[in-house]
Amino acid sequence: MAAFWLTPPLAVQAQMEFSLDEVDEEEATPAKKKQENQGDLIEELAAGEDTASDGPVEPEPQREEIAEEIYAVQQIYALRLKRFEMAPSVAFTLNDPYLKRYGLGFAMNYWFTNVLALGVNFNWYDWCGQRAGCNPLDRGTDIVPRIQNQFRLGVPVNDWQFGLWVNFTYVPFYGKFKVRKKIFQWDAYLIGGVGLMRTQPIPVFDPEVRSFDWNTNVAFNVGAGLRIFLTRYLTFFTEFRAYMWPDKFENDRVAPGPGRTDSATWLQSGSTFVANTSIQIGITLFLPIKFEYRLPK
Amino acid sequence: MMMLARQTLLRISLVAALALVLVMAEGLQSDNRVSAQDVHVTGPLAGAPSVMNQRLWREMRLHVEPFFAFTIADEYSRSLIVGGELRFHFLDWLGIGGWGGYSVATLDTNLTKEIRDKGVTTNANRLDLPSREGYPNQVGRLNWWSGVELHFVPFRGKLAMFQKIFVDADIDVFVGAAFVGVEERADVTGQPSPGNVTYCDQVGDGCLPSQDARAKRTAIAPSFGIAFNAFFKEFVGLAFRWRGIPFKYNTSGTDNNRDGQINSDDRLRQFNNMFSVGVIFTLPPKIKTTD
Repeated sequence: MAAFWLTPPLAVQAQMEFSLDEVDEEEATPAKKKQENQGDLIEELAAGEDTASDGPVEPEPQREEIAEEIYAVQQIYALRLKRFEMAPSVAFTLNDPYLKRYGLGFAMNYWFTNVLALGVNFNWYDWCGQRAGCNPLDRGTDIVPRIQNQFRLGVPVNDWQFGLWVNFTYVPFYGKFKVRKKIFQWDAYLIGGVGLMRTQPIPVFDPEVRSFDWNTNVAFNVGAGLRIFLTRYLTFFTEFRAYMWPDKFENDRVAPGPGRTDSATWLQSGSTFVANTSIQIGITLFLPIKFEYRLPK
Repeated sequence: MMMLARQTLLRISLVAALALVLVMAEGLQSDNRVSAQDVHVTGPLAGAPSVMNQRLWREMRLHVEPFFAFTIADEYSRSLIVGGELRFHFLDWLGIGGWGGYSVATLDTNLTKEIRDKGVTTNANRLDLPSREGYPNQVGRLNWWSGVELHFVPFRGKLAMFQKIFVDADIDVFVGAAFVGVEERADVTGQPSPGNVTYCDQVGDGCLPSQDARAKRTAIAPSFGIAFNAFFKEFVGLAFRWRGIPFKYNTSGTDNNRDGQINSDDRLRQFNNMFSVGVIFTLPPKIKTTD
């Protein structure tokens, strides 16, 4: 992605139009350019300016002759401005070789411009609870016994309860693609925030003696996602998220003598930086369902 | 924590493939029940093609794409790859191509480092781990890559970046066959018996020489993937590509079936996959457009 940002925008922009007509249009007179700027609804709406509250706009007096061609500009298919977004999802952790982890997620955002939102998201990993078959070690991958047998190594593993984050979402990219005669609008967004993550070491090295409570860790996250509009209020989305926090794991050494029952010796002395990279897939519902374009006169 | 669980990736790939099939099946239906943007045009544009002056980025053009890639989901060793790809498109949505790359560097995963630092060798696992210090020498590595693939471009469109930069973009789905240069630990048998190994080839060697012995072969496997391409000029674009190549090899250099010997029976299925970033150069540089 770095090359996207390293490409000089001004040099690129001249090549970025989508039709030859548009390229020709750029070479028109300054008076014509001024006319285009006044009527560029997409740019105004996408910039997040509150045209709804500004009310009707009086056209400026015409001082120069305008070009006779009129270019129709399609409206943005679905506005996000001043709408709530509800997003249930499922999360699959990608990079834990020892345990399979699945989360149920829910996110809520408020779009205070058309490209910027503030919201929260919640991921619940302990949804299976204490029922039979819900022991986290039952979700272990086949690499765990291989490591134990072949290298005589124990693997300290933590269970996760839930995570809760406050996030900003920014939409730098939007576009549309065609599937036969259907045109789908999509956008890509960047997301990031801070919150907390609840985790608990699973006693592996001395389970007869050790037991652990849930710990609350300060966490943060970054990610990027893709949203495809199925209707003006319903979308399908998938996102890549990296949730990160410093975590405490079980001590792989058992203290001799009375120290064995001392809970102060049960955890490793330092924290380990955990990066949970995951894919989340879900749908979003924009509320209110309907919205109105406010057009300048 | 930095490795990708291959089963999870496989599951996600299946979900993505299912979603792709559903989207395409929906698009192929004649019954227009999809409530995405359905453009009903009246007036002078009625009956006109959905896109006019469409730029044909691929039709009868050659794409040359040098790329940098790295493997993901590796258990013991990652590969950093430099390579190139050549594609020719008969149609704007269909083409054929070949690719190749060389692993210019390999990176041991945290698990390999943990074993190197903390692994314990006994007679019960001497065949699997002759010495912990030499463990990185016994893991399987992927040295070179190549393949031929058929490319489909079902989606194309345009996108705006920061409401200032506009580019044409498309999604390229491909499937084919790959040829991968695999380097694994050479065949060896633990003596005198499985589970009580004191030497491998010669009495007293402790299996240490076998830890560094290597065998090379070429693995043939299916390959498939998806790429997002953005075109900045008539002859230059950028490609972000994910490619999956599942095949079996002995990643850990260990006796995985516990039969007392290391050989081809110890190979485990791996969902090898990589992510690459490439720069697309197109020939001829002049682009054609539709009416």
